[in-house]
Amino acid sequence: MYDYEWDRLKTWLDQYGAIDESITSAEQITRLDLSAKSLKDIPASIGILCNLIVLNVSNNKLSTLPDSMKELSALRNLDIRRNNFEELPEVVTSLSLRSLNASGNQLKSLCLLKNSKELRVLDFSSNAIRNLESFLPIKNELRTLNLSSNLIKDIDMFLPNLASVERLNLSNNVIVNIPHSIEHLESIEELDLSSNQIEKIDDAFFNLEVEIVDLSANNLKSLHLFSLESLEELTLDENDFEDLSIEDYFAPYLKEFSCDSCSLETFLLPPSEFLEMLCYSSNEIKAIPDEIGHYSKLTQLDIDENLIEDLPDSLANLVYLQTFYAKGNPLNEHAKKVIDVLSPNICDLNMKSGITIERAGADDLAQMAKLLSVLFAIEKDFEIDFDKQFSGIQSLYKCEGADLLVAKYENSVVGMITMQRLISSAEGDYIGQIEDLVVYEEYRKMGVGSRLLNKMRVIAQEYEYKRIQLAADIDNSNALEFYNRRGFNKTNLNLYHYTV
Amino acid sequence: MKDKEEVLEMEICECGEKTVAQAIEIMQNTSLPFKKAKKLVTECNKSCCRVALMKIYDMKDFGRFDYDEIAYVIEQRLERLKRLSEEA
Repeated sequence: MYDYEWDRLKTWLDQYGAIDESITSAEQITRLDLSAKSLKDIPASIGILCNLIVLNVSNNKLSTLPDSMKELSALRNLDIRRNNFEELPEVVTSLSLRSLNASGNQLKSLCLLKNSKELRVLDFSSNAIRNLESFLPIKNELRTLNLSSNLIKDIDMFLPNLASVERLNLSNNVIVNIPHSIEHLESIEELDLSSNQIEKIDDAFFNLEVEIVDLSANNLKSLHLFSLESLEELTLDENDFEDLSIEDYFAPYLKEFSCDSCSLETFLLPPSEFLEMLCYSSNEIKAIPDEIGHYSKLTQLDIDENLIEDLPDSLANLVYLQTFYAKGNPLNEHAKKVIDVLSPNICDLNMKSGITIERAGADDLAQMAKLLSVLFAIEKDFEIDFDKQFSGIQSLYKCEGADLLVAKYENSVVGMITMQRLISSAEGDYIGQIEDLVVYEEYRKMGVGSRLLNKMRVIAQEYEYKRIQLAADIDNSNALEFYNRRGFNKTNLNLYHYTV
Repeated sequence: MKDKEEVLEMEICECGEKTVAQAIEIMQNTSLPFKKAKKLVTECNKSCCRVALMKIYDMKDFGRFDYDEIAYVIEQRLERLKRLSEEA
């Protein structure tokens, strides 16, 4: 029998390339991506998609949804972000959703999502929500709630309905107080309260079993830290503290503690033995206590931009410390000796500023050929031969479809990378072959290699290459790790050479 | 929708008076972690433009810049500031 409604809907969906030719009935459609199609409305016939589970209509110009959507009984994931909704369509409140993303609209308030007992993920970020009445049923299974970048001032009323929420983002609002009702966050693991106007925190907050808290960029003047027994990460950056203190029984498993730009004069020591990252950057601290040496698991210490002259000898005991930022302090000779003994992998005092990344010029080619010797000394397949290297680099420089970048310090080449255009029959288009990424030993651990690779990736993007690829010596573990960390995937292919 | 050149000329940080193009250049030329790279752009310890700068920082690491997304985030922030000032 001819199905007029399906025929009309299919024509509409075809128009936006939302379904392929294999779809012959409404029942076959379980997912629809109609994002970024400049849609101003959705046809009422969408209600016939009885098996639709996922609907993405984000990045359109919608301000309403058809009432017929209440027939979408299988719909679980609805994405309406970045549209023109000024209020949440009534039909949304009647759906049994698992996730709803309504960020980037102009919602001013929220109505009760009465059928949302199974809702797990809810995103109302970047709207204009001021008031939060009870928008969730008392019994719900919400796990993730994002209300960031709204105009919320008072959170007292809605907290009692968030007993199951594990991740709550309230950053970028105008919250002034953390009320006693915060105690209702019984399942909370991550709590982002950054960029608000918080002045007061109720004691109930310190009894939460939260693991990650961000309170940065608020108006906290006085804070006494205690309990928070499950806390692993605390960020307090950009609060103009007059009084910050830490109790002995505060956060025994704390791993990361950051107080960047907090007007602190004292270096406070959290009691946790598990601390891995400690940041007191941009304060007015004059001394680091000897007890810093007790943090045997510390891997990163940031004390830059303070008033520190000397460093305690105990700092040199921190054998796992890999990253140490200490620039902008009037460090004396003893302090510099301590850093020498400590010898961290990354230290901003050792970093040279003024290293530039630029396209290679004709004058750079001889230096690049010389630099290649450093690479070929590592790679067993190649022998060092300056004349061949110089000739190769010169040919590459003249070759259309080749790109050569150099890292320069005081007009000398200290690092390089090249890329050649290839045609991939697998990709059906151009790809980039990366070669010759090398940095002089004394300029390593300063991010020069990353910058060279990042710049080359941007060039590849501009050429619209489908892929970039490279080969690395299997014994060069540093290089293999470097490429892995930057998102390169190892392939199953082996390289073979045949000398012609 | 703005084209790439228009987005590059948008002001991303009032404190440091930097455009998107300048912020991208600075982010590409440092290997410092985000918190420190941000200060190179803003030249201050504030976090007004943190969200947009973090997008650029992540895009730099990812190797692809989404200029529409950058413009959207900047405009969102300006819109929010306007709303807040109207309320005040």
